[in-house]
Amino acid sequence: MSEQTRQVPVPTGRSARPAHRELARALPWLLPTLTLILTIVLFPAAYMVWTSSRDVSQAGVDRGPAGLDNYRALLQLPALGRVFGNTVIWVAGVVLVTLLVSLALAQFLNHAFPGRRLVRLAVIVPWAASVVMTSTVFYYALDPFYGIFNQFLVDLGILDAGFGFTRRPVPAFVVSMLVAVFVSLPFTTYTILAGLQMVSDDVIEAARMDGAGAGRIYRTIVLPILRPAIAVAVLINIINVFNSLPILRTMTGSIPGYDADTTTTLIFKYIQQDRQVDLASALSVVNFLIVLAVIGIYLAALRPMRDE
Amino acid sequence: MKRFLRLSAAVALAALTMTACGFGGKDEASGDGKTLSLLVPSYSNGTKALWEGIIADFQAKHSDITVNLEIQSWDNINDVIRTKVQAKAAPDILNIDAFSGFASDNLLYPAAEVVSPDTLADFQDSFAKNASIDGTMYGLPMIASARTLFYNQELLDKAGVTKPPATWQELYDAAQKIKNLNAGVYGYGMPLGSEEAQAETSLWIFGNGGSWNEGDKITVNNPRNAEAVQFMKRMIDAGLTQPDPGASDRTPMLDVFIQGKIAMAVGLPPTVGQIAQKNPKLKYGTAPIPTKDGQPMTLGVADHLMAFKNDGSKKDAIKTFLDYFFSAEVYKKFVDTEGFLPTTKSGAEALKDKKEIVSFLEVLPGARFYPSTNPRWAATQGAIQSQIGQIGQGKDPKAVLTGIQAKADA
Amino acid sequence: MAAARRSTRRGRRRWLKAAAGALVALVFLAPYLVMLIGSFKRHAEILRIPPTYLPTQWIPSNYATMWSTPETPLPYNLVSTLIISFCGTLLVLAVALPAAYYTAKHRFPGRGVFLLLVLATQMLQPTVLAPGLFRQFLAVGIDDTWLAMILVNAAFNLSFAVWIMHSFFAGLPKEIDEAAMMDGASKLQTLRRVTLPLVWPGIVTAIIFTFVACWNEFAASLVILTTAENQPLSVAITKFVGQYDSAWHYVFAVSIVSIVPVVILFALVEKRLVAGLTAGAVK
Repeated sequence: MSEQTRQVPVPTGRSARPAHRELARALPWLLPTLTLILTIVLFPAAYMVWTSSRDVSQAGVDRGPAGLDNYRALLQLPALGRVFGNTVIWVAGVVLVTLLVSLALAQFLNHAFPGRRLVRLAVIVPWAASVVMTSTVFYYALDPFYGIFNQFLVDLGILDAGFGFTRRPVPAFVVSMLVAVFVSLPFTTYTILAGLQMVSDDVIEAARMDGAGAGRIYRTIVLPILRPAIAVAVLINIINVFNSLPILRTMTGSIPGYDADTTTTLIFKYIQQDRQVDLASALSVVNFLIVLAVIGIYLAALRPMRDE
Repeated sequence: MKRFLRLSAAVALAALTMTACGFGGKDEASGDGKTLSLLVPSYSNGTKALWEGIIADFQAKHSDITVNLEIQSWDNINDVIRTKVQAKAAPDILNIDAFSGFASDNLLYPAAEVVSPDTLADFQDSFAKNASIDGTMYGLPMIASARTLFYNQELLDKAGVTKPPATWQELYDAAQKIKNLNAGVYGYGMPLGSEEAQAETSLWIFGNGGSWNEGDKITVNNPRNAEAVQFMKRMIDAGLTQPDPGASDRTPMLDVFIQGKIAMAVGLPPTVGQIAQKNPKLKYGTAPIPTKDGQPMTLGVADHLMAFKNDGSKKDAIKTFLDYFFSAEVYKKFVDTEGFLPTTKSGAEALKDKKEIVSFLEVLPGARFYPSTNPRWAATQGAIQSQIGQIGQGKDPKAVLTGIQAKADA
Repeated sequence: MAAARRSTRRGRRRWLKAAAGALVALVFLAPYLVMLIGSFKRHAEILRIPPTYLPTQWIPSNYATMWSTPETPLPYNLVSTLIISFCGTLLVLAVALPAAYYTAKHRFPGRGVFLLLVLATQMLQPTVLAPGLFRQFLAVGIDDTWLAMILVNAAFNLSFAVWIMHSFFAGLPKEIDEAAMMDGASKLQTLRRVTLPLVWPGIVTAIIFTFVACWNEFAASLVILTTAENQPLSVAITKFVGQYDSAWHYVFAVSIVSIVPVVILFALVEKRLVAGLTAGAVK
């Protein structure tokens, strides 16, 4: 975007034509992507916005225009403050913890040791499994009665009896965040690991010869090379974590009220429990604008699409 | 540029060959009025085979009609049907719990138009009434279930409870005695998690003579209801229920009962079969659900079949299929296999000696139903499911009921 | 002497790392071990209180019987998932690669807008988009086909593929391209012979990312694919969850089986991902 603003102020005289021609030259490379997006994504997205301005019955029948009523109804939800607060904690917490753990893990997996290949394969498994199933098995294993993780904690003497991790808003929310970190780690770790392959051993060796410590080498040589990989990984994590439904839906689904909800799970509750698709669509539009703003700020601040 | 064209041609070709594997071709339901789509939920692991059998037999008899079956889990069927309705592509026949939302949107055929008078007359009166709005019947009551109290005989003996409780106070005292055993078992299973909180809450409210509605108006926070919910909270606060009742779903709670860790819980017909399968050694009994004054009462729930009008061309085929489904043999087999209660007179007669359901059939005549013919009920039920459990997290019952009322009025 | 001591110390550190690695592996595998063990239990044992760590009676036949359950035609579901994921990933690659390359290597007006637009597709909530998608495909007459799901998966997984590959292309030193061009190679030749092998780790990451996302897609498949035979595993698995009782042993067994192909895919490409640049084009 900032690149664009750099380009825009030169539309006068002869430089206007090159800009125009540049775009024409770029278009064929972008066309397949644009075509796919315009033919598949445009309609459902527009339909969502349209639905948010309609009065849709619980059965799904469109009863006519509703103007901004759905948006107004959103503001009247008393739990809205808590839900927004939860969303901020959820996204920031999960993304940051994921990044820190991934940096360490990628560094570790970059060392040679016996069985490294197998460990790397093990780390990928949470990514290969569907998030729904991972959440379900955590939920099952954390059940206070027949959960194996709970039983394990009891057998170790850490707990006296099974604890209802998934039965109260705060513990359930924290456990959900851990699961979210767990399923985000493989992708993040691998992106960083792939980035680490671009770090040349010679450079590190040279720096070491010059007497640089491990911490300094990491900060001044490794991190800058990892920058694009980290930037993209964080970007993707922000979007994914923000839009993540299955984890909270599974882990906190039986908990009443909205104390463990984010805006995304609230959309789901509007659909599933209140049968209000129109309201859910309105919240989705708001949700979309929020992510767009967050990502916009992120991109403007970090400029990961800067070349070189 | 030329090279680029070659590349893009190659890409396009590759894309085309790849996607070619997607062209499976599909037999689009033609507008001849003879192809019916049927959307049903999965009751048990036998549901799919059961329907496939019924459809195969039906098509053998009526070779001109084709029935396309779609099965969804209960978790998903509401999303699927709403999407179809939104896209104006509703199935011709739907099996689901509540019909009133579809009826009030004028999507359904009245029952009289899609079954023969004989079939119509065979429905038991209470179910027929529960399937009607303003005197017009839209839903075809298909299966029913009722609730009853299950108790763990061994635990009650150990605690010195001589007979199953009939009143709230007796339930309270019995649960207290179980708690005093200090044996890591719980007195009463109260599932107020989102799965079916409305059922448990209804039992208490109806057991106090309360109700969810007055005529057309949904009335959640009336004094009798408040009193009932207050008593539920007393049970919870005294520690007489399983831990965290507010977030306990029914199915896992019943599993805990089946494993012998809960002394009393309300169950339903399929519970009998599950005990036999999962823990046949459990010594248990059933009794009427305790109410405030000991007057027997149960909650009846009926699921319905319903026919969508769509373009109006398939009425005759629908009628043929539904009459076939409700014919004595076919219907009996369906209800019998799924282990529910019949909603037709002939079905009740045919199954009156089935021992798994006898105790439920006995209480069925006094059953009370959800006000499911009220178009606001679906939203109310959703609000109960998502809110009532908060009384288990220290929230004031009155405030919770007021919150639910607000959702119902929204 | 000193050298020998150093080498034993290094050897000990190697094994210490291996032990730490084993611990990491255990943590990452723990939930799936629960799943695996559960898949060998009898239906009744899965919900026993207190739970058993290992099955009292091992039932390996769950893995045989699950292919012919009354709930869902699992072999078809597996084939369906494979085809949708495979074609979807190929399509994404074919479409995203040129865009990622060009946006990383060239500046042009609208580049930022393009990248943001691509990214925006990923910010939409699939649950809420599903009705629109269903309607769209119904209108075109390809609802309930693999083609529809291939297109959906491709369109919605495009953005991350573009972004991942973009960042790898962008991370390449410009000198490499320039050197190749100076040797007289055309842009496409440079792309194919020099650049692509260098960004291979990025492409592999994008492939895995896309494939996994296609493999586990649920919200759109649920409403678009209505015939049981067409549905992917993610939808099929929900059929084992009944109203009053769930066939957990099958849920777990199917989950394990559905993880396997992705892990195999990963095992196949992992070496190349790691080999990546170290194989030595950068000199």
